[in-house]
Amino acid sequence: MSRFKLLRKAISVGVVTEKYPYEPIEVPPGFRGKPRIDPLKCIGCGACVNACPPDALSIEDDLVEGIRYVKLFIGRCIYCGRCQDVCPVEAIKLSNEFELATDKHDDLYQVVGLRMVRCRVCGRFYTTYRQLENVLKDLPEEQRPYALLCPDCREKIASLYTSYARR
Amino acid sequence: MHSTVISKCKELIELLNRYGRVIEIHDGALLIEVDEYYLHELSELLHWKLNGYYTTSIGVDERPLNGSFGVYHAFVLDDYGYYVILYIKVSTGLLKTTSITPVIPGANWAEREIMDFLGIRFIDHPEPYRLILPFDWPDGIYPLRKDFPYNCKASVKDKIDEVVHGSTSTVKDVEELSSRYTLVPIGPYHPALHEPEYFELYVDGEKIIDARYKGFMVHRGMEKLAESRLTYNQIPFLAERICGICGFTHNTAYCQAVENAAGIDVPERALFIRSLLLELERIHSHLLWFGVAFHLLGFDTGFMITWRLREDIMNIAELLTGNRKTYGMNLIGGVRRDVKEENIEYIKRVLKNLENEFRDYMENIFSMNELVKRTKEIGILSKEDARKLCVLGPHARASGLKTDVRKYHPYAAYKYVDFRVPVRDEGDVLARLLVRYEEILESINIINQLLDNLPNTPLQAEYDGIPEKRLGVGVTEAPRGEDFHFVITGRDNKVYRWRPRAPSYNNLQSVPLMLRGEYLADAPIIIASIDPCFSCTDHVIVVDVRNGTRKRLSLNRILG
Repeated sequence: MSRFKLLRKAISVGVVTEKYPYEPIEVPPGFRGKPRIDPLKCIGCGACVNACPPDALSIEDDLVEGIRYVKLFIGRCIYCGRCQDVCPVEAIKLSNEFELATDKHDDLYQVVGLRMVRCRVCGRFYTTYRQLENVLKDLPEEQRPYALLCPDCREKIASLYTSYARR
Repeated sequence: MHSTVISKCKELIELLNRYGRVIEIHDGALLIEVDEYYLHELSELLHWKLNGYYTTSIGVDERPLNGSFGVYHAFVLDDYGYYVILYIKVSTGLLKTTSITPVIPGANWAEREIMDFLGIRFIDHPEPYRLILPFDWPDGIYPLRKDFPYNCKASVKDKIDEVVHGSTSTVKDVEELSSRYTLVPIGPYHPALHEPEYFELYVDGEKIIDARYKGFMVHRGMEKLAESRLTYNQIPFLAERICGICGFTHNTAYCQAVENAAGIDVPERALFIRSLLLELERIHSHLLWFGVAFHLLGFDTGFMITWRLREDIMNIAELLTGNRKTYGMNLIGGVRRDVKEENIEYIKRVLKNLENEFRDYMENIFSMNELVKRTKEIGILSKEDARKLCVLGPHARASGLKTDVRKYHPYAAYKYVDFRVPVRDEGDVLARLLVRYEEILESINIINQLLDNLPNTPLQAEYDGIPEKRLGVGVTEAPRGEDFHFVITGRDNKVYRWRPRAPSYNNLQSVPLMLRGEYLADAPIIIASIDPCFSCTDHVIVVDVRNGTRKRLSLNRILG
């Protein structure tokens, strides 16, 4: 008796299997898929690198050529979206893309190269142009010259001033 | 009613004060620093006389903090709503402490884990052998000690046979068993659950005489990784990956532990969203388990039905969190995404539909004689044994133990909802099926209540750093039972010690007992009936757990 009921029900429900991959699968809005860095927006601040739990994002500075590389390796990515949360300029965003199988290793990387700025005093590359711009925007007029120095030189000069102040 | 509870708690604290200074580390958790001398007496009091149960033991290398090692034994007192943690200082010179396994057999694994990872010896432990570390792991290297770097690769000795681990008595025991009975190995890959574990069944004809379990083949060193490399807000994502089925509950338990330690008040809406997702996870996990159980019983129609129903839950989860399974919703102090008003109606509609269909199907299925006969009075775990082995969750509730973290230690938003805890006394596989069936219906009920009463508050708590050297306990009712996370906060935005304990850790210890005296054909369903989650239990690392002798024996049998 009960088996016939199950059978009847099964026939009425019909086929539920989707024909994937022959038919595309829709994902809802807000789906957490492959992240993508917008190279026009990224300022190379490294906030995403700090937040990334599996170290999928990394930063490498080429101090000879003066280029900062922000590297995203999808092979390590867990699609948590923390990078998207912490990005100050909304440069990195998770997309709807989830079909990431590939036979080329390079497909798993996205590398964004950003030009760096030299320190006014020691001449060392220390940050990117875009990050400097971003910082200068919010800085009061009198503090702006400090932003043009690398952290070491800035510290030296600042300590010089504080020692004057102590006198 | 309320005042009697308070006076009861006062009595409890007075009672415990006789043994040592009682500190309330946070709401609902007491810590007592006790002398080893009282350990047995106190364990017996907490576990047997006060009707509580033992949860787990945690070993901590506290040398950088106070120059000694620490062992924490955690107990749960459901009647009082307290977690009681006994803290024992172990001096660096002696490195030994009293074992509580003679009093509470359920403490067996947890103590052996501490022996493996920290090198603390437990006196009078009945089986003081390696449990987690592989048997070719070099002696004298203890991975959870603070002076062991997380990225160090210990050199493995070539001569495995020379390393004497495992007792001679166990080996003799096994030899005797295998000379008299036939050995049937199940695993390291289980026919139904695609996770590595290994059961040795000793059979006489069709009857199972004895059974041994060996696991910890996928221990991944999570605790070490978390305390050395990850920051507070990165660990939730690692915790979520402890389990592929009930990850969110680990994630929540961890966040709760840190929030409790730091005294962060999570906004109500975040609590409601946590509860909502936890219940969704429970429904999907139970439906998945029903599918596996039916498949093992040879009832594949049932498997198809439950997994089709489960798909609706996965879609809701995807809509709410952006992913089908790894929700990634928790951070310390709240959740990351809101539940949109326009989705609430849709969720309710889907759940209503699911409830009707599920009820219909299950009533039909439970009226099938074949299914009832294959599950009734099979794999019985008596109430006494369940108490002794400290089993948890639906497994305990099917053996007549009324325990549920959601009810007795309410976390997230469970104190705002009204629900029932299904308990059955039979203790067989059928009881476990029925308990989970009722739980799914209760979960749907809870979700509806939560959706009706979603408060309007922010999603994230504002907090200013996490103070160091604080203890925190975070507990959730995972689909498989109580999920226990213990945290000691540390410096530099990192935890000092994080110890997750999945419910299968306790439940698996009862499987050999349930298998004894049963028919071989019932073994798969009995093993699966506790809804085992092997990787959860391991959550930390292991290559090969069998000692030399046993390894050769079983391998030959498998190949032969």
